[in-house]
Amino acid sequence: MDITHIATTLTTWWWLLLCLIFLFYIGLDGADLGAGIFALFSPDEEERGAIMASMAGIWDGNETWLVVAGGVLFGAFPLVYGSAFNYLMIPLMLALWGIISRAVAFEFHVHATGSKRFWGWAFAFGSLLAPFGAGLALGATLQGFPMHAGPAMAVHSPGLFVDSPVPHFSGTALTFLTPFSLFTGFGAVVAACLAGGLYLCARFEPGDVINKKAQTWTTFFSYLALMTIVVAIVWSYAIFPWAAAKWTGPNWWNWALVLVIVLFAAYKSMMAHTMQRDFTALLWGEGVVAILWFAMWATMYPYIVPDTWTISAAANPADSIAVFTLFMTGFVPVMIMYNWYQIWVFRGRYTKKASYMGH
Amino acid sequence: MLMENTLPILLSRLDFAWITSMHILWTPLTIGVSWILFGLEVAWLRSGDERWYRLEGFFEKIFIVNFGAGVATGVTMEMAFGILYGPFSQAAGPFFGNILGFETITAFMYEAGFIGLMVFGWNKIGKGMHLFSTFNVAFASSLSAYWILVANSWMQTPNGVVLKDGIFQVTNWWHAIFNDNAIWGFPHMWVATMILGFFVLAAVSAWYILKNRHADLFIKMLKPAVLALLIVTPIQIWLGDSLGVDVAHSEPTSLAAMEGHYHTYLPDGKPNTGWHLIAFPNAKNDGNVFAITIPHVLSLLETHTWDGTVTGMDSFPAKDRPDVWVPFYAFRIMVAIGFFLFFMALWGTLLMMRGKFTVQGLRQRPWFLRLMVLSGFLPYLAIWTGWWTREVGRQPWVVYNIMRTYEGVSHMGVGQEIAWFAGYIVFELSVWAGAWYFFSKVIRKGPDLDSPLPGTTSDADNAVEAGGGMARPSFAKPALHSEP
Repeated sequence: MDITHIATTLTTWWWLLLCLIFLFYIGLDGADLGAGIFALFSPDEEERGAIMASMAGIWDGNETWLVVAGGVLFGAFPLVYGSAFNYLMIPLMLALWGIISRAVAFEFHVHATGSKRFWGWAFAFGSLLAPFGAGLALGATLQGFPMHAGPAMAVHSPGLFVDSPVPHFSGTALTFLTPFSLFTGFGAVVAACLAGGLYLCARFEPGDVINKKAQTWTTFFSYLALMTIVVAIVWSYAIFPWAAAKWTGPNWWNWALVLVIVLFAAYKSMMAHTMQRDFTALLWGEGVVAILWFAMWATMYPYIVPDTWTISAAANPADSIAVFTLFMTGFVPVMIMYNWYQIWVFRGRYTKKASYMGH
Repeated sequence: MLMENTLPILLSRLDFAWITSMHILWTPLTIGVSWILFGLEVAWLRSGDERWYRLEGFFEKIFIVNFGAGVATGVTMEMAFGILYGPFSQAAGPFFGNILGFETITAFMYEAGFIGLMVFGWNKIGKGMHLFSTFNVAFASSLSAYWILVANSWMQTPNGVVLKDGIFQVTNWWHAIFNDNAIWGFPHMWVATMILGFFVLAAVSAWYILKNRHADLFIKMLKPAVLALLIVTPIQIWLGDSLGVDVAHSEPTSLAAMEGHYHTYLPDGKPNTGWHLIAFPNAKNDGNVFAITIPHVLSLLETHTWDGTVTGMDSFPAKDRPDVWVPFYAFRIMVAIGFFLFFMALWGTLLMMRGKFTVQGLRQRPWFLRLMVLSGFLPYLAIWTGWWTREVGRQPWVVYNIMRTYEGVSHMGVGQEIAWFAGYIVFELSVWAGAWYFFSKVIRKGPDLDSPLPGTTSDADNAVEAGGGMARPSFAKPALHSEP
């Protein structure tokens, strides 16, 4: 096997790991964010406080998967990292502002007296802004972006890199903004709302006021989410030739099967939810997210960014990807292990009266 | 004018400088204090003295607010390289991106995996597991600092790489990771975090003694803090000097800017050995309009000889010279603070030797306590000025002597850059104001001396039952705790 072949294989592995890490982020923090959006409609600070307390010990670990995804993207695919994030400046900025306000609200809300209400809102609005920004970024990524080699800034000065063959993002600040990306922003919020609802049902005791409200909330958002999924699939089919070519290509039955499995998992989740088997409903719901996410990545293959970066074009030099693999792969299961342990320690149901104890 | 000082490039630098300065407000305290908390926990477990636990519990409240602010501002940092410096990220990715990846995987996530256990796990996990968690938080945050410093130092001394097809390819990982600047740069930064941690805790303790609240408890903290500072502050001065000597060799333009050193040789041909206490660089950046100069000191500092040659700005073309104002004054502020903090540690130790380091004795010396409170703020300023010296001194390069800053800037308009700047001013200032407000609130409220010690409650509600959604209520707590 020659070195290029090994490098391509390793790069593909990192592409799969990246997919998995993004999924962890969406699956874990999505629920936290959705619970935050639920808190937008909370009548009092005690309820918002209880929702925050229910995730006090785990939200940081969950959110950190996003940072890990950023780090893996930078480490394994710097060419994509440096051009896609440039393109996604505004949506990422919005998501990051949301993340900032909810991260500090977690720590401030519990200590606040006069400003409790303010930090409660900062938590809830931050939780809304973050998935909206992330959803915008996702839709924009699916659309691809323009690139060209040469100086990224319109300046005329000599330099080693001005004539470099590396292509940079070359669009404008608002290239990302289309009806489709706005729709995926909305879709991400709906998905988060559903995940948050399922989480709150499983997290709070049956009969508790938060649990009761979350039951209705979840029912509503499960129907809305189903509609959103259908619209997203039809819309993508219409505007993305790379997706259409796969879905109705010679292997169409694979994709049809995936769709059937998604619908089955969604049905199981809704049934479990109706029977108030909340934790089972949450797991099936996460299953829907996972299958859709894998299907999306499979549809994009061999692209990382459709019509923009293929996995092999974006690959790091063989030597760097080898070092990254050698030193980092072993840590992925370790990370999963201690993240899981932390969630395990803080498992169990809460009541609205629960809050940070004396913290 | 230097390309790097034209508006679009200057704004991109400001955008990045702002978020970095606002992030470095939090993480050094997390790193320093996490080790001190670990020390307090060990002291408690070994001695059984409840007061160590009370101190740990109290400082942990400040720690977690600080940690939250660090995370809030830190997620942006991980994305900001690609957003604001895309072409730099692409070119430097094979090394720089790897290191940032190492950081998130081995350190950031490692820390996040244990922080919840450390802060909220007191009654949920055993004492041994808790101590292990505290240690892991401390170790992981230091490891994080290590990788970040490796990455930043490599931008100062880009060893172990070649440029090929417009990207940096690593030829020697060993040289790239242990690059010249990292060897002194990391210890210098890490010791700074310890100094910050000790001085912040010492300042809080001094404040309590000054106010005569829980004075007996907090003098128990102040004493070891002062003793530890007597050791680390002189070490820091030595590390700083060593880093300076290294910079003089490996990054001469940066050193020349730090010292306002324009002329390598005097008009009579002898080496220019003068060190400026104060200098006003001229507009053309090729000399000082005014300076107060002490001969020989510069050579002593940078070459450790009486009249060794120190390369001045005139050895480099005008387009390769950094701005002098920021590095020159920022550097002097940092050094002055370093010596002042050493003086405070000495003063405290002398009081101890004379047997005056008691609540009574210290309260008779309110100026010592007041200056100790002030010393809790000074390390922040020293860290800021030190980092500004480093970053502005490297200009006009983003990767020293290879990639110019303007070549690394993302494709973006001035409007975007201003939107970023304006938004982050609002968000980061809110974080800053909020965090410091809640620090003061926690401090004014005082330590909790009444709650039962961990491991002594037999509260059935706390018992962890079988997991998942089928678990019985395991966290039924009384209503929101009362506010003061």
